[in-house]
Parts: sequence; structure tokens; C-alpha cells
Amino acid sequence: MKKSLLTLLVAGVVAAGLSTGAYADGESLRLVNGKIEVDAALKEAAAKYEEETGVHVEIESMGGGVNIQDELKKQYQGTGMPDIFVCGSDADFGNWDGLLADMSDCAWAADTDAGYVGTDGLVGFPYTTEAIGLAYNADILEKAGVDPASITGPESMRAAFETIDAQKEDLGLTAVIGWCCEAQNLYWSTGSHSFANYIDAGLDRDDTTYSDLLADGGQIDHDRFLHYAEMIALFNEYADTDSGFLTSGTYDQQILGFASGKYAFVTQGSWIGATMTTDDAAQYEEAGNFKVGMIPYAFEEGIDTILTNSPSWWAVFQNDNTDAAKAFLDWLATDEGQEILVMKGGFISPFKSCSFVAEDPFAETISEYTAAGKTSSWHWLKNKSGLDQNATGQLYLDYALGSIPDAEGFTQAMTSVIADYYAS
Amino acid sequence: MKANSSSRKLLSLLLLICGAVLFVYALILDFSRSGAKYRGAFLILGIVAIIAGLYFFPTLKYHRRIIYIIFLFPLLFTFAVTVIIPLCLGIYYSFTDWTGIQFTKFVGFENYTTMFSDPQFIWSILITFIFVVLNMVLVNVIAFLLALLCTNGIKGDGFFRAAYFLPNLIGGIVLGYIWQFVFNNVLINITKTSMLVQTKTAMIAIIVVYIWQYAGYIMLIYITGLTQIPGDVLEAAQIDGANPSQTLFQIKIPMIASTFTICTFLTLTSAFKQFDVNLALTGGTGSAQFMGKYLTSGTQMLALNIYNTAVSKNNYALGQAKAVLFFIILACVSLIQVRISNSKEVEL
Repeated sequence: MKKSLLTLLVAGVVAAGLSTGAYADGESLRLVNGKIEVDAALKEAAAKYEEETGVHVEIESMGGGVNIQDELKKQYQGTGMPDIFVCGSDADFGNWDGLLADMSDCAWAADTDAGYVGTDGLVGFPYTTEAIGLAYNADILEKAGVDPASITGPESMRAAFETIDAQKEDLGLTAVIGWCCEAQNLYWSTGSHSFANYIDAGLDRDDTTYSDLLADGGQIDHDRFLHYAEMIALFNEYADTDSGFLTSGTYDQQILGFASGKYAFVTQGSWIGATMTTDDAAQYEEAGNFKVGMIPYAFEEGIDTILTNSPSWWAVFQNDNTDAAKAFLDWLATDEGQEILVMKGGFISPFKSCSFVAEDPFAETISEYTAAGKTSSWHWLKNKSGLDQNATGQLYLDYALGSIPDAEGFTQAMTSVIADYYAS
Repeated sequence: MKANSSSRKLLSLLLLICGAVLFVYALILDFSRSGAKYRGAFLILGIVAIIAGLYFFPTLKYHRRIIYIIFLFPLLFTFAVTVIIPLCLGIYYSFTDWTGIQFTKFVGFENYTTMFSDPQFIWSILITFIFVVLNMVLVNVIAFLLALLCTNGIKGDGFFRAAYFLPNLIGGIVLGYIWQFVFNNVLINITKTSMLVQTKTAMIAIIVVYIWQYAGYIMLIYITGLTQIPGDVLEAAQIDGANPSQTLFQIKIPMIASTFTICTFLTLTSAFKQFDVNLALTGGTGSAQFMGKYLTSGTQMLALNIYNTAVSKNNYALGQAKAVLFFIILACVSLIQVRISNSKEVEL
């Protein structure tokens, strides 16, 4: 009896061990996506691909405050790396040096300039284009008698803000600009996206003057930053301070406020279009489904570009599935794949051969700027890891609170904090 | 008997050898990063064979001891896998330039020297100590008062106990976000700017939330202590004419000295490890002037600093070194605290 019990136990343990050791493999891919809002579109594309080729692609979407690189590292340690995963910056790609597949032999490579080229070759597949610019509500500007094209520098920007501010009540505005410096959850909006304008606004796509300066021990160009800081002071002045939104608002409030016509301007990029037409669709409709546009953050006279880039890329991990993963990405870049991504996911295609245009409120303004060649790049992706969360984001809040009193103080604080951050 | 014994010995040896071979082979496969899928099964089979071999080993003298070890094995194994091995690996990684994926070289004590030249880290240690001291006092005082209130025989004390304990059942992250909403959207009508945006007021906010979360739990322990005081002692005191404050200070408190030890110990270690409320409520934001530097993570306590160093600043090796220091500090403080409290108990 004792023996038979023991045998049973042993058999059970062995069976358990064997069953965990053996897992299904073969024609199945796993993709870790960092844009949770396009989860449904990606799954639809994956289903179509499986229908056509029999290769199953599992879409795993992460978002909502998850540090994806950290999550990937855990999966790597647990031997369960996805075949395709998202990488958003130089530091992200740096993590995986030597582990990513070169895709320069893929069909899509010749169809775009937006791919990410790292030390291992062409390792990033671009999937959309996003733009950073000062978004405006065209209806309100028209009613207020402000021509967006007239805003070309600091004076004209201030004049426009003053004109709108004077008619705030008639226009039903809470504030002229939806600008929020909350540092815990919105540090990326100020510390990276707004800061990006100091680095790139008005410059050619390949001009790296200020990102090089930053990379060299975290230096800041005093004059350029001072002009930028004066624009931020203008934003602080005309933002919604009464309700505390400027210092403790949320991303959701910011988009909702803009979608419901409470702000003439908002300091978020083109990606809010997706939220305006889905989650906030009711309020957007109530506000008249107004036309939107973007103007450059013209903190110096003559700045006439908005910043466009692929916000992140998909990288292929080197393993047995590499070829299958490359084939899937190739398929995504074809008309069939692009149709789903653009029409259902609202992506703005980075591929030249793509003829689909998303029904996104910002799609038109981005293509106008692109066609006119008035775009700059996103060199802020080269910033040191965590610069926004651990250094710059907090300074925008202090500036908004008034604990940093003026533009000169802001410039100096920024200079010393960034230098310290790069030194550590 | 003899034949039986020798056959058992043979079986036992066979199992032991097979088990050891399988076990070592599986480990070699694993360390050489082989993709062989049967290695997990090999490892388990090996361990089972070794255990069986030990069980069948024909000895009277050591049989009892072997059985003890076999019974302890699941616990020891789990403890090793979840505590001992990660601890050793952690210390090992703190001497390298580990990125969370791989490392290229050993850097000696460089991570340790770097962290002490970082004002932000020293600031984090400092505010963590202040936080711990304030909390240890405040949580215990408030919890003890609540416990006295709930053992006074007032009407509906069961309800009050449950109500005070309830916040502890909510996870720290959820609780942090609830209170963030309260500070940013409700209390802002009184404070004008949110309490969470200035370092000083944000620290007060964290302390308030933490007490709100933890006092109920500590209160329950005090209640248990207070209700265990023998009734005859209290009755004797009453007959002798002791007034309520004398009863409290001369009878009740000395009688539950051991409860105080447990409670101070619990509040001390948990306040030191404060992470979730800190992360959810302020995320470490806030600014401060310290050591001639402009710090931008004013409310970032030690645990959050370690997490941010690894995850947000992408410096896993440095974070690991800080974690080792954190472990040492925590171990020392806890040991000293238990020593002091224990010697007090003897005196009383």
C-alpha cells in the first residue's frame, strides 16, 4: 500500500514535469504591442493573416502605465521572448544589442525612410506616424477671428492668445490652452514632447545640433531655451489655473476638455485624434465635430515645422521564428495589411506606396505639412532613459506653480538638472 | 532479511546515481542555454529519484534523519528558489554592469560608490528615515487609542473595529489612486492647489494615507493584547482604588509590552518598505534643494528610488546595489529594534 502510494506520487510528479516541459510550437508568432488603443485592429489583421497563411499571430497589447521594456526583460529572463515587440527609443534598442534581426532584406524596407537603423542594421519596423504640434480647434479660432496661419512667432502667438482670452466667455472656453504640467502621470507630455520642440522645432529632419549638445554631457543652448521658456510662460499664463488643472490635471481631462470645445489649443499631438473619435465621441459630436489643425510651436520667429516621426517601432527577435515574423511584417506593409491598420487602427502610414488615408481628425494637417516639407524629426528619442520622469517633468510643474519664478530661472534650473542627470 | 536488505541497497544506490546524473545533466543543459525541452522533466525526475533513493537507503541509524530531510525538502526547496538564490544572484549582479538582460563586465564596487555620490539617493534615505520615525510613533499612538476606544464596551464596537480595519483590505496602489483623486479633485476646493504638488504637503499626504491604511491593522493586534489581560488583575486594581489612567499606565500597558514589540516591529519594517502608496500617490514627484543640487524627485522614498533606478533610468546593476544596501539597513534596524524591545520586556 505504502509502495503503491509512493509510485503514484512519483508518476504524478513526473507527468506534471513532462507536461510543463512540452509546449506547442510551430507556426505561431507572438507580438507585443505598445499601443493598447489599436489592439482590436491588430487582432483583426492577425486573424486575416491566419486565414490566408495559416500562421497564427498572437497579439499581446500592453499599456496603461506598464513599463514595456521592463516587462520584456522579465519575459526574457523567463525564456518566453515574443517574436515581435515594440521598442521606442535609442535606449530601448540598446537593451537588445546583438539580439535583434536585421530586416534590410525585407520588401518593406525600400518603401519607407522611417525604419529604425541601429548597430545591428535595420531593426525597427515603422507602423505609424505621429505629429507633435500645437493642436487647435479651427471653429473657435475662426469665431474669435484668429487666423492660425498668422501665428508665426512669439508676438503673434501672444496676440492670438490675448484675442481669444478676451472672448473666452462668448466662446464658452474654460481656458485658451489645454496645458497641463502634472508631473506624476503627464511628465512625458511636458518633459519629452514639449521639450522636443526645443530640440527640433524649425530644424531640418537631419539637423541634430541640439540633441548632440544634449548628448554631450546634457548641455542646453541658453538662448534657444530661454525663448522656449518664454513660450511656456505664456502657456502657464493662459492655462486653466482656477480648477487646479494646470498643476494636477489628467490626460483624460485634457483630451476631453479639448474634444468638448473647452480649449482653443491643446498641447498634445496627433494621437489624441483616436480618443476624440472613440472614447470622447459623444462630447466631440456635441461640440460640433469641429475641424482641427496644428501650428508649429513658434517660440522663435520663423519656426514653421511640426515634429513628425514613427513614435516607436516593432523589432524582430532572433530565434527560430525570425523568418515567419519578417514575413508577417512584410504582409502588414502590403495593401491588405495597411488597409486594416490605417482604416481600422487610424494609423498614418509611413509607407510611400500606401494610398489609404485614415479618418483621423489630424490626418489632413499632417499630410499637408509632410507634402510641404515642413516637418522636423523626433531627436528627443535619443534622450537619456527616464530624463522626463526623473528630471525635466518636475521642472515644468515647478515653473507652473511659480516656485521657479521666470524664464531665466527655468532655463538655469533645466541646465543644471539635466547636466546632473547626464552625469549620474 | 539479508537478501531484502541488499536488494534495497542496490535499488537505493541505483536511484541515487541515476537521480544525480539526471539532475546534473539537466543543470548543465540549462546553464549552457540549451533549448532542449526535456531538461525540466529531467531535473524533476532526478530530484524524485534522489529522494526515492534516500528513502530506500537501508540504514536504521540515519533513517529518521533522512525522513526529516525529505519532509522538509519542499519547504527548503521553495525557500531556496524564492529567497536564497535571488538574494545571492542580486548581490552578484550588483558587482556587474547588468542591464536586466545581460552583463559584459565586472565593475567591482563602482555601483556602491556611485550611489553614495548621488544627492537624490541620500535624500531618499533621509526622507525614508523621517517617514519611518514619524509613522512608527503616529501609527502606534493612533492604533492604540483606537484599540482602547474599541475595547471600552461602547455600543457597536464590532462595527467600529471592522470600519477601522477596512482600509487595510484595500491594496496600496488602489488606495493611492483613490486618495490621489481625493487630494486632486475634492480637497483642492479647500487647498486651492493640490497637496500633492509641493514636496512638504505631499509628504504629509503620504503619511496621512499610510496611517489611514495601517492603523486599523495595528489596532486589531492591540485589541487582541488588551482583551487578553486577565480580568481578575483589572478587578483587583479597581478594588484597590486605581483610577482609569493608573489602570492604563500601571496595569494595561506593562501587561501588553510584548504586543508593543510586535507592533513597533511591524510598523518599522513596513514603513521602511513603503512603496505602493508612494508610487500611486505621488510617484516620487516633488522638488527640493539639497546639497547644492536641485532635486526633482522630492517625495521619492528608498524603495521607489531603487525601483526607478532600475526600471525608469534603465540601470539595473545600480538598482541592484541599492537593493543590497536596503537589505542591509533593514536587517540591522530590525535586529537592533528587536534587541531593545526584548530587553525592555524583561525589565518590566
